[in-house]
Amino acid sequence: MNDPRHSPVPARPGFDEAMAGKRAECDGGGMTAGGHAARQEFAGMLTGEYVDHGEPPWRWYLMVDLFRKPEGYPGDVVWCESASVFLLADE
Amino acid sequence: MARRNPLHTKLCDMLGIEFPIIAFTHCKDVVGAVVNAGGFAVLGEAMHTPDEIAADIKWIRSRVGDKPFGIDLVLPASVPPSDTLEELLAKIPEGHRKFVQGIKDRHKVPEPKNPVALHQWGGLNQEMARAQLDVLLDERIPVFVSGLGSPAFILKAMHERGMKVFGLIGKTRQAKREIEAGVDVIIAQGYDAAGHTGPIGTFSIVPEVKAIAGDTPVVAAGGVTTGRHLAAALCLGAAGVWTGTLWLACRESDSDMIVKEKLLAATSDDTVYSRCISGMPMRILKCAWTDEWGKPEAPAILPAPYQMLLSAEYIQAANDHRRPDLMTEAAGQGVDFIKTMKPARQIVFDMVDETLAAFDELTGDE
Repeated sequence: MNDPRHSPVPARPGFDEAMAGKRAECDGGGMTAGGHAARQEFAGMLTGEYVDHGEPPWRWYLMVDLFRKPEGYPGDVVWCESASVFLLADE
Repeated sequence: MARRNPLHTKLCDMLGIEFPIIAFTHCKDVVGAVVNAGGFAVLGEAMHTPDEIAADIKWIRSRVGDKPFGIDLVLPASVPPSDTLEELLAKIPEGHRKFVQGIKDRHKVPEPKNPVALHQWGGLNQEMARAQLDVLLDERIPVFVSGLGSPAFILKAMHERGMKVFGLIGKTRQAKREIEAGVDVIIAQGYDAAGHTGPIGTFSIVPEVKAIAGDTPVVAAGGVTTGRHLAAALCLGAAGVWTGTLWLACRESDSDMIVKEKLLAATSDDTVYSRCISGMPMRILKCAWTDEWGKPEAPAILPAPYQMLLSAEYIQAANDHRRPDLMTEAAGQGVDFIKTMKPARQIVFDMVDETLAAFDELTGDE
């Protein structure tokens, strides 16, 4: 249910050409059992695909080809909340 | 010339509070006590349903009247493609299951009495977060705190309702992004803090964030348990402090008495920063589980959420049977200074006295 494309909340997929192919970092994370906020860091390439989730829109970008991810993280794909994405070109 | 009261900061002016002390707690009674003592308190509601949050807001308002308070939620900032609980459990390697069975055997860990909380919980997704946020918008609570994840997308809606929004960050670039988005207060959390923290120490991140914060008040978090810490935070440029561990063992706290006793006995050396509970690094009190996963023969700790699934049954059993050797709690490095179980009101007043005494020491006004 986490995948924003498969949400019961109205979700509008789109494509942002300006973000496509950009290398970026994601200061990510979420909540663990017990209610603690847990930080996780990723770095990879944005495909440009996004989903605007609900209203006001909460934008999520798809990051692939992860070249940095939490130890043991399964797979090479993660959805990143837009305000937590930092383009490497901006560093 | 009369000296300015160092405890009267712009955070006090913004919130209409007497002391720049923010208590983060999961206990409503602590919120009521701290707010009524002249501080500010934030209730952590990340694990609660929208209905429970609405009921808690009503309860707090009945205790504090028009005084301000806050609600903290954890907004997800990244989400992996997801599996069902059964699919996740099936992916846990056999060797890890055997190691956990060894821990249970060596420490005589009983079976849990209650259903394992994590298995009931099911995780936080965007739908739940949005439903929680809708309650805060409907209730127009005074302050929303985003404990993780940027609140940028919801800022305008909250400001239009007269709410203030605080963002808690672990890196300076996150602070810059949130300040540019328009948060009202930025909370800079250092590595000394309880739970899942950022990688930078409190003494470094607070002045770093202050340097880029402009007029946005900065609040210092991480290891703050005394007035000396508050005085230091003010000197670093903070307009107040965010405190969590400090309230776990207070009189009003609903923490288990065994956990309170462990906290009172703990020194800063009794916390450990480990991935062994959730798969993500967090600072907690040492216990049998943390000791075992720190041994050289322990297998590699699994990533979230698999490690959480491994630890969930142990934690449930520890809490159900109230075994001091097994139980743990998130605790910051300032735990060493928590030595008696005081009422929350007394903690606020003691911290104020200690802060003023620290400033007097600095200026030679003893």
